[in-house]
Amino acid sequence: MRPVLLLSLMLLAGPARAWRLWGEASDKKIRPVQELNDARKPREVLAALTPDFVQTLRGTDLRQAYILMGDNLDLLGRADEALGVYQLGVKLFPKNVDLLTRQGDLLHRTGLDEQARVFYMKALVYEPRHFGAQLGLAEIDRRSGFLDRSASHYEIALETLDARADIWRSYAETLLAQRDWATADLALERAGALEPNNPEGIVLTAFARRARGDMTGALLALDEALARGAGVGARRAKALWLVEAERPAEALDEAALILKESPGDAAALWARARAQLALGRSAEALAELAPLTAATRQDFAARAARTLRDRLSSR
Amino acid sequence: MIFLLALLLAAPAAAAPDLSAEALLRDHLWREVRQAPPGRRPKVGLVLSAGSLRGVAHVGVIQALEDAGFPVDSVAGTSMGAVMGAMYASGMPIKKIREFAATINVGSGNDLSSARLISLLLFDKLLSSEKTEIMLRKGLGGIRFDQTLKPFACVSMDVYTGEAIIFRDGDVAKAVRASMNLPGIFKPLEYRHRFLVDGGVVDYIPVDAARLLGAEWTIASVTETDYTTSRPENVLESLLQVIDIRGAYLSHEQRKQANFLIEPPVGDIGMFEDHRIVEAIEKGIITASARLEAAKESLILASVPKLTDGWGVKAAK
Repeated sequence: MRPVLLLSLMLLAGPARAWRLWGEASDKKIRPVQELNDARKPREVLAALTPDFVQTLRGTDLRQAYILMGDNLDLLGRADEALGVYQLGVKLFPKNVDLLTRQGDLLHRTGLDEQARVFYMKALVYEPRHFGAQLGLAEIDRRSGFLDRSASHYEIALETLDARADIWRSYAETLLAQRDWATADLALERAGALEPNNPEGIVLTAFARRARGDMTGALLALDEALARGAGVGARRAKALWLVEAERPAEALDEAALILKESPGDAAALWARARAQLALGRSAEALAELAPLTAATRQDFAARAARTLRDRLSSR
Repeated sequence: MIFLLALLLAAPAAAAPDLSAEALLRDHLWREVRQAPPGRRPKVGLVLSAGSLRGVAHVGVIQALEDAGFPVDSVAGTSMGAVMGAMYASGMPIKKIREFAATINVGSGNDLSSARLISLLLFDKLLSSEKTEIMLRKGLGGIRFDQTLKPFACVSMDVYTGEAIIFRDGDVAKAVRASMNLPGIFKPLEYRHRFLVDGGVVDYIPVDAARLLGAEWTIASVTETDYTTSRPENVLESLLQVIDIRGAYLSHEQRKQANFLIEPPVGDIGMFEDHRIVEAIEKGIITASARLEAAKESLILASVPKLTDGWGVKAAK
């Protein structure tokens, strides 16, 4: 069903995207390099794209050469060089949405969101529903606090990328931040249908349930995520949420499991201190906080722990 | 083939929830702050500075705080901060405040045409800001201070005594008009036996007004000018430049009184650049969003002593 749907979408796509299906006029010299790229051989791709070879290319081949060179430099962790290649490509092919979007992606990844936005917006001028640009803008807008705009961009990107569970999850996160629980549930359902065993998705479901006040359901979801291989983060959340659910004895046990693996874990230490307080054991709570309150630590957890310690000591 | 590959390789979506110890602890404590019953956390006062047209950035700050569910118990503002603050405190939806802000210009509600300004200079007669009040009343619906959704205060200055006058009762529109009654252009507003002009001259960041409303922790949105970027070319601009410089000096001192500052980078937006209102609002959103986690941390730390009372605390031995 899905391939048919995808094909239909591609066929319905505007002419600007059509070249991706059938290709533009080309000498097809780039094909062997493209095959190396498809086989995930970045070093070989870069070795093949010598200046002499690139000089012989034209049209689509030349454009694709810039894309391949940038992508593979990036794959090898040479983001600065990749950016230089994309910049050159954009200068030569200023209307190419793939180059524009890639340059936007790289800038976005390095935190230069406002510069990235310019390239994404340019890409949308030539292809208004380009999924890459829409996705990039969705992330930038979410990070910048424009939640409504972010959700709209995700919705457009998902018209094309509807098989990507991670994007459904990101969309759901934006909806949760907007407190649009009902639509977030639908998005999480879509993500869950695509990747039923993905612990990230189940953790996100737990957050959604907690946000709506369903703490029992949230803790059940965390248990499910842990059963499916979620990491220590899910266990941390569980320890703290058990405190919120007024189940201090279980919180103590859960935090102890974390501390066995990482003895200085701030969330686990805090959860234990709070659980001790809930059980009426202030002296034990102070002892649990001790590793967090070292004067040398200036992080938030340490400052919070010192504030609590001072409060407990003053009573 | 390339298209299919592109679909698979499209930049990965943003990371899942931050499950680091620090982030989860912040999230956990923030939930406690938000759900704390009255008295179990400090009362939060939102303070909106003066700043003429730059002050529309406050709307963006308010929007980011609202989106994040940041508790705000009272609101205080001066000049444009008073306008935006009055609307927010009255319960007006953010969308409507944005729409209102988008229509603002230096002559909002007033006939500040070139002819009037020439007449102001030729006949040496100050203009009336009465139409400002009409415009405000239209937006606020004739609300009184005791009818606002959140307690609200705004600041004006008595031009005869130099006192800062903090309004907390009576008609909101008239008080806000007084708070933004630009000296040198508009006649002092005679109200309650006072002759009132823009409060930005004496109380640029009205933290004191928020404290009077009972705020124990204040978050201030400051839209100070960067006067080094402007080059006044006429009498009016020179006057405004001097007011701005005075405001900036005041702001440097008053900012120390706030517990947390959000400063949208709108210093280069001039009083007459109403085409930059959307930009100012967006800068407010972006800046506030970037400072949100730090603001939460600050309020959490201020709240822990009070929250502790609900945590079954007994004396440690």
